[in-house]
Amino acid sequence: MSDLIWLHEEALRASHPLFSASSAPTQSVFIWDDAYMAAMGYGLKRRVFLYETLLELPVDIYAGDTIETLKALAETSQASRLLTATTPNPQLNDIMGALPLEVTRVAEDAFVEMPNPEGLRRFFKYWNKAKKFAFQPNGTR
Amino acid sequence: MEIQPKDFADRDALLAHVRALSPSLSPEDVQVSDTVGGRQVGEKQLAKIDPIAYGHSRNYLGGKVSYLSPYIRHGILSLNEVRNLALKAVPQGEAIKPIEKFIQELAWRDFWQRVYQQNPDWIWHDVEDYKTGFAPDDYSDTLPDDIQTAQTDCAAINYFITTLQTTGYLHNHARMYLAAYIVHWRRVKWQAGARFFLAHLLDGDPASNNLSFQWVASTFSNKPYFFNLENLQKFAHPQAPCEEGDNQALAGSYDQLAARLFPYGVSS
Repeated sequence: MSDLIWLHEEALRASHPLFSASSAPTQSVFIWDDAYMAAMGYGLKRRVFLYETLLELPVDIYAGDTIETLKALAETSQASRLLTATTPNPQLNDIMGALPLEVTRVAEDAFVEMPNPEGLRRFFKYWNKAKKFAFQPNGTR
Repeated sequence: MEIQPKDFADRDALLAHVRALSPSLSPEDVQVSDTVGGRQVGEKQLAKIDPIAYGHSRNYLGGKVSYLSPYIRHGILSLNEVRNLALKAVPQGEAIKPIEKFIQELAWRDFWQRVYQQNPDWIWHDVEDYKTGFAPDDYSDTLPDDIQTAQTDCAAINYFITTLQTTGYLHNHARMYLAAYIVHWRRVKWQAGARFFLAHLLDGDPASNNLSFQWVASTFSNKPYFFNLENLQKFAHPQAPCEEGDNQALAGSYDQLAARLFPYGVSS
């Protein structure tokens, strides 16, 4: 099995667990998708900040529609699986769902190693549980 | 398909390339922040954190805040590594009270992301009713021109707008002041304010930004957040121009302002 690693805008560091999750990476890429950035409302300041960040990362940058570009790259590299970072962002999750590839989501290092309490609404309800983990290295009890 | 370049002669060359790759950008959007992206700069910023000083000065515009938010927002730094470093500010075995507020601020980011994961549809929709005595239709859909151009009749608000537009950053307290001004003084829908912030903030995140706007508006909290000039003078002086003559709309006691801003009364 060979993997295409898709780095999206919410996981922009080389030490993200995503990069160590594959034993057979073919290529690591970031897709510069103007329409996506416009939908997110990003102005010039943010876009320059993002591009500057990409300069230091072990990824190839491609410009274009994210879904079409990832499909073409997977075909070229004969990747059978796409690895990417877990995100709550529905636009990014929709893209993952639209790809004709097996997609594996790799989670960020947790801030607190606890399951998501149901029906989250007010911060202090979350904090009363999270503070038992938050002051420990790596957020573990 | 062509791989995009990573070598540029200078920042202007990179800027020109970003613009070429971004046909959707307005020609008027020409401002770039002095804050530079990338892990190297993020690590330098991380090395400067002072979680103890943060604890007692964070609410002041000149307080010892970390400026890590753009790097955390895009995963350049993880919350975990920032917390792990902050823990070293107190010797092992000693009380963590001095760094509690710093760690709690990181937890706010984690909280917003978890809420976003559970309820992605809350990001652009009122989670609850306004508690301001007004209905959603009483609020304007668009941001007035004088806000977009920093020409309101409040000098401090204009300072916050200009800072946001030029630097891509605002101190958290300034965000609350500006958000409250937009929603409660000008009766503009929080969504219009949230879009304005997201267009300029380097750290703008749909969850943190929009749910905080809803917290200010009262559609994700028990009551509207507002402030008065006295509070502004305490926390924003001398960075922002806080003289009463230049900020008359903000002056008054909390009761006087509540009567002016919420004439039908605040519900809960």
